[in-house]
Amino acid sequence: MSTPHDPEKHVLDPDRGSEPVFGQDHAAKESPNDLACELLAQSLAAWRVAGNVERASDGALLIGGNAKAIRIERAPPQSMLRWTVTVDGRKRAAISLVAVLRQVREALDPGYTAVRVRIAVAPLVPS
Amino acid sequence: MSGDVIPVSVLTGFLGSGKTTMLRHLLGQPEFSRTAVIINEFGEVGIDHDLIEASEDSFIELQTGCLCCKIRTDLAQTLQDLLRRRDEGRCVPFERVVIETSGLADPAPILQTLMTDANIAGRLMLGGVVTTVDAVSGAETLVREGISQKQVAVADRIVLTKLDLAGPAKPMLLCRLEALNAGAPVLVADHGRIDPARVFNSGLYDPRTKSTDVNAWLAEEAHGHAHARHDGDIQAYAIVRREPIQAVALTLFLEALAEHCGNDILRLKGIVNIRESPDRPAVIHGVQHVFHAPAWLDRWPSDDRSSRIVFITRRVPRRWAELLLAAIGEEVADVPVGR
Repeated sequence: MSTPHDPEKHVLDPDRGSEPVFGQDHAAKESPNDLACELLAQSLAAWRVAGNVERASDGALLIGGNAKAIRIERAPPQSMLRWTVTVDGRKRAAISLVAVLRQVREALDPGYTAVRVRIAVAPLVPS
Repeated sequence: MSGDVIPVSVLTGFLGSGKTTMLRHLLGQPEFSRTAVIINEFGEVGIDHDLIEASEDSFIELQTGCLCCKIRTDLAQTLQDLLRRRDEGRCVPFERVVIETSGLADPAPILQTLMTDANIAGRLMLGGVVTTVDAVSGAETLVREGISQKQVAVADRIVLTKLDLAGPAKPMLLCRLEALNAGAPVLVADHGRIDPARVFNSGLYDPRTKSTDVNAWLAEEAHGHAHARHDGDIQAYAIVRREPIQAVALTLFLEALAEHCGNDILRLKGIVNIRESPDRPAVIHGVQHVFHAPAWLDRWPSDDRSSRIVFITRRVPRRWAELLLAAIGEEVADVPVGR
């Protein structure tokens, strides 16, 4: 069962995470804001964190969950950083969506400990 | 000979699933005459060792506990010792290593050991994961034992055993195996007898031909299955992208996967069309949060130039992975493409 796509509001549905809503490459056709919004909603599902994501009238993304209020907006054009993340009134910059995800997770998931990628020393095939 | 790359195959499967019986048969085959075997047993008394007839100088048993729990260092040390003995001519010049795990072992840490130990890197290479499944009780075991599910999920080859007792493989068992790991061919061993070539030549790189076979390695899961397959918590799916992916996007994607879901990425493997390298695809492979650096193929293995990434995960939603890759790609689209 697929869930109707509503880019304006995404309420966590734990069952939705495993259901492909779109066909392949569909995501690449969405606008960046839609992508970020749905990515955040799906991230909550992937992390098994309760919460919801919606878009404010000014275009910012709002996340509520774990008694936290999070606001995510594009950084000003002259900024070297891409995003601004405000958690309970505290504003921080984020260089990328990956950094946004990290800040959101840290705010919503108290048990979260980032696992850093480790690069294998053994080659995949001989050089 | 010491400069050759030696494949290391991991033979796993739940308790009583027929690993030792199959290995005993394989070691009797001429193709396996130059095989070093490492057996890990869980418990004080090694039993399996006594069941296998093999040359003592190429046979090592680890009895310090479950391989996945506390003796990864011992495994790396054992492999180093094996290589040293081989180099010094103190054992047969083996051309293959087989690690038979305990039936209770999680194979992922073993794979990571093979990937991350600097002292064996370049000499040994993962030759594939083979998982035995008992046709009599395998379906029940897969329901009851999470570790059994994981052993099946990470396999490159699945071998059904004890069909002489169970009769034809039960559809329910085959469905469960397909749900856990649709990409792995399911083979059959008759009283342990099976064609060695079909079992252990399942890695990306074939040292005999010195070539790669990406399509066989990725198997059919990467060829157009549109829907995620899942069995309980474990899901197998493939993400297919026709558009090339920037190198920086792939790097950020893998970092984010590891950061947020590293422990739940049981295995990831794929071939990727990198925008900066349109004629030489990248092959990627990861186990949990440990990833190989991409290997660059000389050419595409077929006319299909789409990126295909196979995921075997524990509750990592397919949609999230798709969106993550798409959103990162979108964000770095304005980054100049390097050469």
